[in-house]
Amino acid sequence: MIHRLIGGIAAVLLLLASCGESAPPRSAPTGGSSPVAAFPVTITDDDGVDVTIDAEPHRIVTFAPSMTEIVYALGLGDRLVGVSGPFDDYPAAAKDVEEVGGAGDFGVDPTIEKVVSLEPDLFLTIPGGDQWKQRLRDLDIPVVTLHADDLDDLLGDIETTGELTGAAEEAQLLAQRMRAEADAIAKSAQEVGPITCFFEVYYPPLTTVGPHTFIFDLLERAGCDPVTDAAKTDYPEWSVDALVDEGPEVYVVTPESATSVAAVAKRPGFGAIPAIEDGRVVLVNGDLVTRAGPRVIQGLRQLAEALGTA
Amino acid sequence: MTRPGARRFRRTILILAVALVVTVLIAVAVGAVWIAPGTTLRVLGWKLGFTGHPDGVDRATEVILLQLRLPRVALAVLVGAALGLSGMLFQGLFRNPLADPAVIGVSSGAALGAIVVIVLGGASLAGGLAVSGAAFIGAFLTTFLVYGIARVGPSVQVTTLLLAGIAVAATISALMSVVMSFSGEQIRSIYFWLLGGLGARGWNSVVVVVPFVVAGAGATLLLARDMNLVSLGEERASQLGVEVASFKRRSIAAGALLAAAAVSVAGVIGFVGLMTPHLLRLLVGADHRRLLPAVLLGGPLFVVLADLAARTVLAPEELPLGAVTALVGAPFFLWLLRHERGRAAGVA
Repeated sequence: MIHRLIGGIAAVLLLLASCGESAPPRSAPTGGSSPVAAFPVTITDDDGVDVTIDAEPHRIVTFAPSMTEIVYALGLGDRLVGVSGPFDDYPAAAKDVEEVGGAGDFGVDPTIEKVVSLEPDLFLTIPGGDQWKQRLRDLDIPVVTLHADDLDDLLGDIETTGELTGAAEEAQLLAQRMRAEADAIAKSAQEVGPITCFFEVYYPPLTTVGPHTFIFDLLERAGCDPVTDAAKTDYPEWSVDALVDEGPEVYVVTPESATSVAAVAKRPGFGAIPAIEDGRVVLVNGDLVTRAGPRVIQGLRQLAEALGTA
Repeated sequence: MTRPGARRFRRTILILAVALVVTVLIAVAVGAVWIAPGTTLRVLGWKLGFTGHPDGVDRATEVILLQLRLPRVALAVLVGAALGLSGMLFQGLFRNPLADPAVIGVSSGAALGAIVVIVLGGASLAGGLAVSGAAFIGAFLTTFLVYGIARVGPSVQVTTLLLAGIAVAATISALMSVVMSFSGEQIRSIYFWLLGGLGARGWNSVVVVVPFVVAGAGATLLLARDMNLVSLGEERASQLGVEVASFKRRSIAAGALLAAAAVSVAGVIGFVGLMTPHLLRLLVGADHRRLLPAVLLGGPLFVVLADLAARTVLAPEELPLGAVTALVGAPFFLWLLRHERGRAAGVA
């Protein structure tokens, strides 16, 4: 739990830092502007750590399902020697890769010995776990932390991953394709106009998303206007009182949080929310909207179709 | 028997009662939307069949009032009363102002029961009542276990009971850590539960808790006289005709029942059981027959206020109730200790 808290705090600090400055390019490869980056490549990652990759990596460990998906989408699946755990389930081939997670108080840390035994030349992960990351760095394993606040940020992260792995061209193509699809969805959503909505992360307690989260950005792009834009934290516990008063037109929920639409309607007070009265409760695949990876475009399309803005 | 300070006692009770009523009215009115007490009365009048549907009250307001705010405030009142009484019973039993339901492991037993159900995926089963049931069972099993360990023949030594309680609670905490390491997303529910909170609870929880609080309060009333005598020492009490062994059993049963009922619906809420009886004893004296009504008003007052703060300070975001009670309660308690000591020093 402490690691998660630390991770959360680190993410918030990063966010504040990136808001405060006039946003210098987060990842500046030293190899010039050529799309095929020459190694060594040096970047400053989202933990604020400078990392240098000396030669094209051939033994990659990803410690987040989103990172695993990005590596496969860049056509580098055969270089993957380790993933975090059972949640690295897409594409199916990822399930056969060695798992390195499961250590720490809540089983969310990598087993250091396992990682070392795989001899990775690149370790891709997300914020959190400063202690074990330092441990890995001390053992000369290049740890790169990437965190996407929104879709633009994700596309930048994909390009950075490409630069770090010698797949810069593939990464640029993937990012371009994703941007074009996202823009098309956003364009038709704008024609329909915004629909007020609420995204449920968890219940009980009722937990939602704040304006600085990846999901919030996707919701807005799909033509939805989340009623939680006043939230001060990323994953706030929300008052049902406030929700009934805000009266969103659409209620978005993932199967991880609610077993069925009927179960949502049965909760105390929920019956008076317009979205639930009108039966506009939308079940979206959580993996598609919460994993900042290449499949978010599918998640975006699912959202837009459910909202009727597609 | 003359009762010195009877007037002062009556005045204190009156002040507490007025404060509770005012606080409840404010708690019902304040939140994401302001609902004027007049509106509340009109909606209630309509619901109870006295008047027609009040004009100008939309459905959202009606639902917020009837399905969210009223049950929440009612639950705060019940939980406050249950925790306060439970603290009073344990402090009387142990003849120690620092005793509360946690010392005999009730809270940790309840927490383990709840966490097991949450990890198995039953967080919202039966409107959250599956968790409540498991917490209640956990609390009671723990109490029996602690009592069974501490019992020698027909009687139980309070010191042994205390030590057994602490050791069992420590074991259960360790078990909780193990169970929690198997949780994924449910860590949110567990966290919510361990920090205590009244959100996501409806009338069904109120209905479930009412009989326990009523029965517990009744039992406390019956125990109050014996509790006064036991405070003179167990030996004196038995000379004065108190069946001490039976008194202890009944106190533990009533205290555990009340604490289990509160914890099962509201999670672990610290400091109410410890602070309320202690503070009120300063105001109304050590006579448990006077302390009982004071706690029945003061416990709810504290929890309703704390819950009001929990849901309004960062509105529309909510804070964990247990964090608020501890955050407000602990420093206040410390101030009180210093103040008391200062006063005692001044008198001496």
